[in-house]
Amino acid sequence: MRIGVCVAALLVAPVMGSAQSPAGSREAFQEVCAGCHALETVTAQRRTRAQWQENINSMIARGAKGTPEQFGLILDYLTAVYGPAPTTAAPAGRGRGNAFAPGPADRQIIDPAAAVRGRKVYGAECITCHGTHARGSERGTDLVRSEIVLHDRYGSTIGPFLRKGHPTQTTPAAQLTDAQIEDLSHTLHQEVYNTLRAALQIQNVLTGDATAGAAYFNGEGRCATCHSPTGDLAHIASRMDPPALQQRFLFPGGRGGPSQSVTVTQASGPPVTGRLLEIDDFNVSLRDSAGEYRSFKRTPALKVVKNDPAQMHHELLDRYTDKNIHDIVAYLETLK
Amino acid sequence: MKALVPACRNSRTSVGPDRLLTRAAQLRVQSYDRQGVLSVKFCTLGLGTLFLASAALLAQGGLNPAKLGAPPIDTWSTYNGDYSGRRYSTLSKINQSNINSLSLAWVYRANGSVGGSGISGGRISATPVQVNGVLYFTMPDHVWAVDARTGREVWHYRWTSHGGEHIGNRGAGVYGNWLYFLTPDCNMVSLNLKDGSERWRKSICDLDQYYFGSMAPLVIRNHVITGVSGDDLDRPGYIESHDPETGDLQWRWYTVPQKMGDPGSETWPSEEAMLHGGGMTWLTPTYDPELNMIYVPTGNPQPVIAGKARAGANLFTASVVALNPDTGKMQWYFQSSPHDTHDWDATQTPVLIDGVINGQPRKLVAQASRNGYFFVLDRATGKNLSSTEYVRINWSKGVDAKGSPIPNAAKEPQLDGALVSPNQGGATNWPPPSYDPDTGLFYVSASRAFSVYYIYDPSDKPEGWGGNDRGGWGESMIEGIDYKTGKVKWTHKWESGGRSGLLSTAGKLLFAGDGAGNLVALDPASGNPLWHANLGNSVTNGPITYELDGTQYLVAAAGDTLFGFAMLR
Repeated sequence: MRIGVCVAALLVAPVMGSAQSPAGSREAFQEVCAGCHALETVTAQRRTRAQWQENINSMIARGAKGTPEQFGLILDYLTAVYGPAPTTAAPAGRGRGNAFAPGPADRQIIDPAAAVRGRKVYGAECITCHGTHARGSERGTDLVRSEIVLHDRYGSTIGPFLRKGHPTQTTPAAQLTDAQIEDLSHTLHQEVYNTLRAALQIQNVLTGDATAGAAYFNGEGRCATCHSPTGDLAHIASRMDPPALQQRFLFPGGRGGPSQSVTVTQASGPPVTGRLLEIDDFNVSLRDSAGEYRSFKRTPALKVVKNDPAQMHHELLDRYTDKNIHDIVAYLETLK
Repeated sequence: MKALVPACRNSRTSVGPDRLLTRAAQLRVQSYDRQGVLSVKFCTLGLGTLFLASAALLAQGGLNPAKLGAPPIDTWSTYNGDYSGRRYSTLSKINQSNINSLSLAWVYRANGSVGGSGISGGRISATPVQVNGVLYFTMPDHVWAVDARTGREVWHYRWTSHGGEHIGNRGAGVYGNWLYFLTPDCNMVSLNLKDGSERWRKSICDLDQYYFGSMAPLVIRNHVITGVSGDDLDRPGYIESHDPETGDLQWRWYTVPQKMGDPGSETWPSEEAMLHGGGMTWLTPTYDPELNMIYVPTGNPQPVIAGKARAGANLFTASVVALNPDTGKMQWYFQSSPHDTHDWDATQTPVLIDGVINGQPRKLVAQASRNGYFFVLDRATGKNLSSTEYVRINWSKGVDAKGSPIPNAAKEPQLDGALVSPNQGGATNWPPPSYDPDTGLFYVSASRAFSVYYIYDPSDKPEGWGGNDRGGWGESMIEGIDYKTGKVKWTHKWESGGRSGLLSTAGKLLFAGDGAGNLVALDPASGNPLWHANLGNSVTNGPITYELDGTQYLVAAAGDTLFGFAMLR
């Protein structure tokens, strides 16, 4: 159960693996900051985006010189690489900051290099029974679901467990060094974090038949009434990837989609049409073509007509089959 | 389904003879706590509802046991006001004829910011309890006591967090002089109602397993019922009962069977899948004192979206389960969403209705479930009387002989996406519904919404979620459903979305929140809006009402602010 899951937060989740910083951001960081102080004095700490922004603001106040674009890049860089936990840690808690994300605040922060080293230990000692992704097999338990692993921090419970003698006695675990156990711990926590929601993405939505999609577009779907593959949809597949294409034609009213308009007619006077700003049972407001803000109390005498340019899309939701949807995506993908 | 300990056996040092109160059929046990304060425990024998007050429990500021779970008049003693979950008040000083004279009496802005940033923030999803003129409510890591007449802060308790999901907190439970609430980092904390001082803290779950606390504890006699939240990793759900004096565990009931061969295990492919099968207990149960049953709505199975490795109905997840509150033993179950793969769970309030069907008086329990079905059951036996769709849905092939929906496998999440209605947000969600005995209608904040469900993890053993839904379009409304037929009698569509808790009253008013920030009073017979006040933020909890000194108050939360309205004329 979730309360208003913020889809956007999930969509912007970082790709698992090493911390990726935006292109040019590290250069901006070096150029602007290294003139006055060693970069290590900054990067010794991890901070949230908001905290880094405060930090940057105080540097600007102290005379740091850079363009707004550079400061934006620096913020992106520091957040990506020196956030409160690296991108390999658990996902952010819907804008709350990592300390309040699911799971314990003191959860292990993955050292990516150690996780890579640990992967070798895992491959040599564990993989045969516990499986490629530590989810177990007929021969070995699921380590992602293991309470020993979930309670572990940097080898604190995995170490004593292995030293006690591995239950199957097939592996001379006691020979692992402390460093190897800590590396292994990073690898296993990485596998746990990889099961969390933000770690995964849509696989492949290009399963439809482009010909059938074109037929639906021009026929039953009546898409061609408003859209054209050589007009508004020309090269659409170069601008959006297939999952985005699928989402956009199903739900065009989202961010970046067309806005609703409204026409309000009072008992006397001409109708007023404009971009719908707010409407409830009691009031309606709009911005008219001259850019003026207009607000009306709703009464029986006031006629309000909403015009949602995506209305036909909403109505199609009751009519599409899933095959129709996949065919349309396949067709749109041909519009490179 | 283990650790079933009869509640009374847990009572500490008994002083003096136990006395059987025949009229109430209750056992009264007197004892002294560590501070030497006399306290009284009641162990019901299943029949009585009468409580005798002791000097300790009636101390100033404390909750009179007779008011615990009783219809709310000058007190709002539990999350739902009473035990029935109907959120109906018999008060009528605020009514259809004078609603336009309702005045804003006070505003209290609560600083529930997390991490001590000092900036106001947070969202009140708690329903306040109101005891002796003081409101008690929560946000994650915070509890407030504010004057129910003036909105003045009496005290504010802050918990230092060790993490956990801070998505919301539904409120506090109260017993005698004590308050109980759950923290995101898996603690149940008991505070002194008088000053908010901490009495004790008890761990109720393991934060390392990504459990967290969010539900409002429910107090029944000498039981504090607590549930667990969290579905990021594949863990089993459970519900517990604790001693209100010590916090000690009385019993725990797992929502999934604990070994193959146990009832329900036939709906799982393996013991491992079952023991990691989810079923969190996010929501406060309801309670029938006569039948001595609590009605527990259970959460979605795990892994949440990718259900490949948990073939079967996955009992007792996404169900309404009746338990004996003294032992934690299951009396019956009804599954609202067999083999849920849409994160729909069934954690919507099971509302108790004493109704009449085909001329016969019936003890019923009704749930408007997140999957779009409205269920009416016999609450003594769990027998299904009706299953109807209260919004149009596209994922079911109808219902089986027991009244449970039959999921259409083609509408389970797919690698290339399946268009499903309702979406993950559901046809409704946790915000509490209401039942009005005057109209015979069950009111629910409903949505008709679409999204696309994807499998992200195509492996044979997906874990965690293994997929999700994306995007969506929908519309929101308030519906009045006739419990006798399951048919929607009226629908009032919101212009701009909206999903809030509801309250109905004998003043012929139904209170709700729309998506534009209005607190709205509707006509419960027709759904027509009668009154509104824009609070600047959508209503985020279930509104409550109470009468103090002859004045009826209405209290609702919007974002981080509590608004108190009153009929001052």
